[in-house]
Amino acid sequence: MHINPLFFIPKPVLFLIFFSVLSVCKIVKDEAWALDLKALVRDVEQQYMGESSVSQTHMQVSTKNWQRNLEMQAWSLGRDFFLIRIIEPAKERDIATLKRNREVWNYLPKVDRIIKVPPSMMGGSWMGSHITNDDLVKANHIDEDYTLRLIEETELHFLIECLPKTDAAVVWGKIIYKVRKQPKVPELIAYFDESMQKVREIYFDDVQTIGERTIPLKLTVLPLDKPGEKTILFYREINYDVSLDEHFFTLRSLKQR
Amino acid sequence: MGQISFMSLIELHNITKIYRVGSQKVVALKNLSLVFERGDFAVLAGPSGSGKTTALNMIGGLDRPTSGQVLVNDLDLGKANLKRLADFRLHNIGFIFQSYNLIPVLTAAENAEFTLMLQKTPRHQRRERVLSLFADLGISGLEDRLPKDLSGGQQQRVAIARAIAANPRVILADEPTANLDSNTAEDLLSLMRQLNNSHGTTFVFSSHDDKVIRRAKRIIRLEDGLMVSDNSQNL
Amino acid sequence: MLFGLAYQNLWRNRRRTLLTMSAMVVSVSLLILALGIFSGMFKDMLASATEQYYGHLVMAKPDYHQRRDLYATLPDTILTLPTLQNPEILGRAPRLRSFGLVSWGQTSQPVELLGIQPLAEATVTSLHDQIVKGRFLEETDKNCLIIGWGLAEKLNVRPGDAVVFVTQAADGSIGNDLLTITGIFRTGDRRHDNNLVLAPLTWLQNLLVLPGRIHEVSMRIHNPMTASVLASRINAELNTEATILDWGELLPEMREVISAYDVSRMIVVIILYLATGLGILNTFFMSVMERTREFGILLAQGMRPWLIRQLVLLEAMILAIMSLIIGMFLGGLMTFYMDQVGIDLSKYITPVTYAGGTILPRLHAVFDLGNFLTPAIVLLMVSLAASYLPANRAAKLNPVVAIREE
Ligand SMILES: Nc1ncnc2c1ncn2[C@@H]1O[C@H](COP(=O)(O)OP(=O)(O)O)[C@@H](O)[C@H]1O
Ligand SMILES: [Mg+2]
Repeated sequence: MHINPLFFIPKPVLFLIFFSVLSVCKIVKDEAWALDLKALVRDVEQQYMGESSVSQTHMQVSTKNWQRNLEMQAWSLGRDFFLIRIIEPAKERDIATLKRNREVWNYLPKVDRIIKVPPSMMGGSWMGSHITNDDLVKANHIDEDYTLRLIEETELHFLIECLPKTDAAVVWGKIIYKVRKQPKVPELIAYFDESMQKVREIYFDDVQTIGERTIPLKLTVLPLDKPGEKTILFYREINYDVSLDEHFFTLRSLKQR
Repeated sequence: MGQISFMSLIELHNITKIYRVGSQKVVALKNLSLVFERGDFAVLAGPSGSGKTTALNMIGGLDRPTSGQVLVNDLDLGKANLKRLADFRLHNIGFIFQSYNLIPVLTAAENAEFTLMLQKTPRHQRRERVLSLFADLGISGLEDRLPKDLSGGQQQRVAIARAIAANPRVILADEPTANLDSNTAEDLLSLMRQLNNSHGTTFVFSSHDDKVIRRAKRIIRLEDGLMVSDNSQNL
Repeated sequence: MLFGLAYQNLWRNRRRTLLTMSAMVVSVSLLILALGIFSGMFKDMLASATEQYYGHLVMAKPDYHQRRDLYATLPDTILTLPTLQNPEILGRAPRLRSFGLVSWGQTSQPVELLGIQPLAEATVTSLHDQIVKGRFLEETDKNCLIIGWGLAEKLNVRPGDAVVFVTQAADGSIGNDLLTITGIFRTGDRRHDNNLVLAPLTWLQNLLVLPGRIHEVSMRIHNPMTASVLASRINAELNTEATILDWGELLPEMREVISAYDVSRMIVVIILYLATGLGILNTFFMSVMERTREFGILLAQGMRPWLIRQLVLLEAMILAIMSLIIGMFLGGLMTFYMDQVGIDLSKYITPVTYAGGTILPRLHAVFDLGNFLTPAIVLLMVSLAASYLPANRAAKLNPVVAIREE
């Protein structure tokens, strides 16, 4: 029995996850690598996250039962706020998700109601994609929950291993990051369950320079336990450091069309 | 069968009975040899502890001799198993005890017909037999009384009825008069003689009372487990 | 006459016999009552597991029970299959199942939503009898639902409130709709009271974009104990992609509970009877010792030792049977009371859910022939066993010694 309710998690979230995890490096205990990892993380984070962003994204979700394409618009401020709204398909137009700190809210225009995602449902998928609410909310706390270690450095890549701290209540048994050196962009994140079985991979590609930043515009989520299924996110447009403040990310603006 | 004389009903050959009481041996009977014929009316006389009860128990198959052989009606009691002995007693022996020993929860009639019941005699035949026996013994009308509602003499008569109901070949009575007053004892002995005469039932009883002993046709005297005399007399 | 003798012998020490007998009567009647309550609890558990949710038989795609795959659907025409018209089957309820969120105000709760046909559902499960507020669904209801009591508490809703249900439809889209609560049910089973909601089947089919599809047909049958036999019989005839599971397969723990129940029944019987058996043993030893002389007389008169043994055993049997008659009558009376009236414990304890079934907070007994036969047969055996030693002692008496005894 698996519960599959809607978990509305915006796509920029994924980038967010990535940054958050890398930021763990800031507190890494391994002295030898600490400086390098910290610098690395800062660098990559700098690339992705302005203080704020506005983007338009396409999401394609393929499962063995259906495939669907969504067009969405998203706003983000720091790591704690964002808002995303569906533009297409028409049937789901204006369905919107708001994340404020650790809370996630959805707006359903058909019934004109705002719904708060309960904590027990944070593990569910968002919009039927292969992304969960936890990916969003927990991401901000990965630096508290995991210990980072640089396990490999080649000419082209850094490979960083994240192991959960003994007392941390986390979903994953291990996370492995692969970061390209030039330009400094993420390439792959692999997620392992408690029995160290790889269960999910996220690939980043289509690296482009947008203004001063170099970022991968496309991101593919592969759930390894469901062969053939995937979620692809593609940034059509992204603008950084727009003028947004916390008041934009309220329940009221969630309802606004 | 049959290597022994046809007329003898009970034969005791060299019976010795030794009881062990702790580490001590009590010799209850010593080399006792006796033969009883059909129709005998014999008393085992002797003081208390002389071995009378032991001798009767040997004849009745209630106990086994330490050595020697007991033959009753050609059955070697020493060789019979418990079940065989029970059946032997049921069909051949009637016991009369000193203290009557009726079953307290059974009526007089039920006590009397008990052996018949064990022999699987049909109910109506049992009833008939009991009624005629009670008439013979002069206790008619007491059939449905419980033992506690009977006098000592009446109880002993019921005990006799019980002993003779199944027409046993031998009736063994261990001091049957000991608990009775002399008149009643007289009556009882007359009754026994009467049965001996009319039915030819063999009686072997014990007593240490001379008045009783005198009434027997044959007097066997025991002393300390030894037979000291065996006399027959005509009455 | 042996019987009469045995019976009479029993009353020679009236006080002792009555005492032993009352111990036997008490143990028999208490045992019958206890087993009746045991059975009542077990019946409640089975009923809660089957009549409150599963039904006795469930037809679905193989694996649906384990995986609850949204796409493992059957056409609703499967209801009319001739094999399902078996007269043993008393009711058939089509169901479509969805997992989603119910939301009211600031609160949302994950729920299991069953799309049902109200009339058909009422022939299989007893949820319609467990409405504590409002009413059960009706055939004409559209955007309506009934909701578990615990869930209603958590959401703070009452009949008349319109809640939102959100789930992912079969086409991947976000299915959401407003539903008006018509009633609140309370089963005592926390999992259902806290998680289950029921809505009209057609409405759910539309929401999930699964028109004409169902996940399962839940069935009620005449005798739940024959479910597995019936299931395999129908499965053999069934010629579709679906298979039928009986409640024993849906709730394997419940099947274990049945065997555990048989074992614990025996344990209770043994414990209660151990004391009774010792009482019988003591009584008969005393009674035999007191009658030593009498047994000697009986042996002297030519009663076979075996018959002596039989006499004592017969006494024990008569005592046991008399005790049984009274004990079964009293036990039956108490069971009847507990069946008709029972004792409500809901003030002191809450329902316990175990092995998929719920033990309700009440003492309630049911009649079950086995609950009378077991104590009866075991008491007879205990009496025989307990009186065997004394009987043997009586049979093995040496008549000479016995008669000498004063
Ligand atoms: N079962 C027994 N155990 C030990 N000694 C016994 C037993 N029966 C009899 N005796 C002893 O054997 C002797 C003969 O006893 P018994 O035959 O009873 O004599 P009577 O009947 O003539 O009084 C007595 O000394 C008696 O104490
Ligand atoms: Mg004597």
